Amino acid sequence: MAHSLSRPSEWLGLYGDILYRYGYARLRDRDAAEDLVQETLIAALKAKDNYAGQASERTWLIGILKHKIIDHFRKTAKEPSQEYDDGLAGADEDEFFDERGNWQHDVSSWSKPDKSLEQTQFFEVLQRCIDCLPPRLAQLFVLREIDGIDTEEICGAMTITPNNFWVMMSRARVQLRHCLDLNWFNA
Amino acid sequence: MLTCKEASVLATKAMDGKLTFRERSGLRLHIMMCGLCRRYVRDMKRLREAIRNAGPIVSPMMPESFRLSAKSRERIGRILKEHSEESR
Repeated sequence: MAHSLSRPSEWLGLYGDILYRYGYARLRDRDAAEDLVQETLIAALKAKDNYAGQASERTWLIGILKHKIIDHFRKTAKEPSQEYDDGLAGADEDEFFDERGNWQHDVSSWSKPDKSLEQTQFFEVLQRCIDCLPPRLAQLFVLREIDGIDTEEICGAMTITPNNFWVMMSRARVQLRHCLDLNWFNA
Repeated sequence: MLTCKEASVLATKAMDGKLTFRERSGLRLHIMMCGLCRRYVRDMKRLREAIRNAGPIVSPMMPESFRLSAKSRERIGRILKEHSEESR
């Protein structure tokens, strides 16, 4: 089915908040997320004659926003950034592993029939757990696991090495799992 | 023998399909002997599966109460209007 576009003057009202939430979930920065809403809608205005109607209007706009998000990371990564290094040096992982590198916590089995990973509520808990991660780890996890962007592309845009990426992703997973364990499997 | 901490990083690298031969055998050996890491690897794969199968439920990931402020909405609206007049 071919989709058609609504009037550009309606876009902000129809999709402004959706784009804002989408951007914020990935940038973790309110000002930057607002700027991207604006840039996305301006780009859409320029590109509206090329809209082919294959995707819904919303999907089309989010597609433009995704490019803007990667561009944003590419731009900010050029500025000297201490945050990634801090993220790597942080002692937060000591909460999860002891000094010999063993797990600190026993975790419950994720196989309880009443606590499936397919329930809508599970994703609400997952979302809250992602929100509790340090912002950089949350960003990486969302880009890689939810948006399905390749590791190479993320590393390129953010100018981090793959090895640093895996260390940070691993930290994100360990923290998420602990959070899910407390708030879902044992809630 | 790898520590659990090292194994957890390799498990993430494995999920990207990027382990070297040596790393892969190290991780296998560790997982064979360590029940906690075995469970960790299994759970993380299940989490990835669940997210992939859920599709758009997990996106855009912020509560609906999270909205543009009236001020920024007005500012963006004004700028868009200028742009649409220019493009006419």
